Amino acid sequence: MRTLLSSGLCCALALATGLPSRAFAQEHTTVGGYGEVHFTNATGPNTPGVVNLARFVLYLAHTFDDRLTFRSEVEIEDAKVEGGQPGGEVSVEQAFLDYRLVDWLTLRTGLVLAPVGIINETHEPPTFNGVDRPGFDNDVIPTTWREIGVGALGTIPGGSGLAYRVYLVNGLRAEGFSGSEGIREGRQEGQLASFANPSFTGRLEWARPGWKVGGSFWYGGTANADSVLGTGSFAAPITLVSADVRYDVGGASFRGEVANINVSDAGAIGARYGTTVGSRIAGGYVEGAYDLLRLLAPGATQKLNAFVRHERYDTQASVPAGVTRDRSLARRLTTFGLTYKPTWNTAFKGDYQLVRNAAGVGEHEVLSLGIGYQF
Amino acid sequence: MTIALALLLFAVQNPAAPAAKVTSSIARLFGPGAHVDTLQVDSGAVLRVSRGDSLLGFAQVGNVLGKDQPITFLVAIDPADRLKDVDILVYREPYGGEVAYEPWRRQFRGKTVADSLRVGREIRGISGATISVHAVTLGVRRMLAALTAWHQRGAIR
Repeated sequence: MRTLLSSGLCCALALATGLPSRAFAQEHTTVGGYGEVHFTNATGPNTPGVVNLARFVLYLAHTFDDRLTFRSEVEIEDAKVEGGQPGGEVSVEQAFLDYRLVDWLTLRTGLVLAPVGIINETHEPPTFNGVDRPGFDNDVIPTTWREIGVGALGTIPGGSGLAYRVYLVNGLRAEGFSGSEGIREGRQEGQLASFANPSFTGRLEWARPGWKVGGSFWYGGTANADSVLGTGSFAAPITLVSADVRYDVGGASFRGEVANINVSDAGAIGARYGTTVGSRIAGGYVEGAYDLLRLLAPGATQKLNAFVRHERYDTQASVPAGVTRDRSLARRLTTFGLTYKPTWNTAFKGDYQLVRNAAGVGEHEVLSLGIGYQF
Repeated sequence: MTIALALLLFAVQNPAAPAAKVTSSIARLFGPGAHVDTLQVDSGAVLRVSRGDSLLGFAQVGNVLGKDQPITFLVAIDPADRLKDVDILVYREPYGGEVAYEPWRRQFRGKTVADSLRVGREIRGISGATISVHAVTLGVRRMLAALTAWHQRGAIR
């Protein structure tokens, strides 16, 4: 549980006694965070193991009254940022104001996470198996994808189990697109972002105990008013659709994600910026896990998940005329390993990943160990 | 009149739980026209629900902390200290509202202090609502234990 500052003392007391408290309706500040430390060792010559404080994230929220709340996350990647050194990034991952009008409608504005897929919005390390996030959630869905805009979210009343989020945000910039990482470097991430291409993104989810099924979309131009690509708001558009499912039953859990991205003017974008971005980027993964403590220690509250995940995706699933398809971008990743969770919000992880592609070029294996936490 | 007064008093002590929501929750759980008295126990207020001479059960309102907002919930037990139902009275977080869905709440029905209530075992979780699921489950477990203890030692009757 998070720590409440200032006026939070009476809240903490109220929590301890189970007493409802007046203080809850009052102004308060909440601090939380998550992080992960990785050890990775790839096979092959001259590939020594690497240890890295991959992410250290502080969550800070302030509730002004019963309806208005500010929420933010600040992230340090790779432990530090130093000029002339590789790696390292400090960034604000989220920073927005939420105004809760009614139970089924909250208005949101600021730097928001694109509500696409599973990992982009729910990326705390104890929530997923494997030391690193799925490759799919890096190369296809450009996690952590955040842009500035306005939107609405809520649950659809009547116990339907449906929840929605819709935002109007700044668009991607085609200049950053590439053959190997698709739309990833087209993100603007709230830094002096161009609003030439307002874009729409949204998600609909359905939930039941053990179940969560979701579908997401993104539509918007990417030309950034470059006259070669077109100056209209929706010039050089991309269309993303994705679907995901999570299902837990007994000690078993399953999840999967698929996505398809159409880059309409990939040929013109590639010619303009000298890149080989695919006209279609597509793929997905399936993952199954079983909590071994169900068998080994039925009375336990801890978890020891054995899991296997298989990913297949291609950032050049289709290419525009004149571009030769690079088959090494048709990737196949198989990851298997263990996740030990002494509590629901801490994880010790180990996995082994087989990195393959359709061209058979640069194939290797990676051993990873890691810890993760959230609070 | 008595029920209105009791609930008004209760609401004054529990600003996080609008009286109307407590009223409709009690009516849903115990049927319309149930008589409600407010009992003071230790540091908290317990609702005693009856009809005529017969005791229908007890209920209590509490808060647990989700990610950054309190979740206001109600737990009701019957005279045999079995959990009748859980109600989410006010949910303020942007994500995790699935804990208010009936298919999730009904997993608690009929449970007693003797039952283990572990997320992922007796209580199925919901992906994307993990913090709320753990918080509410812990809150329900504590409140069920407190109500049962008060009832069994005669502090509420």
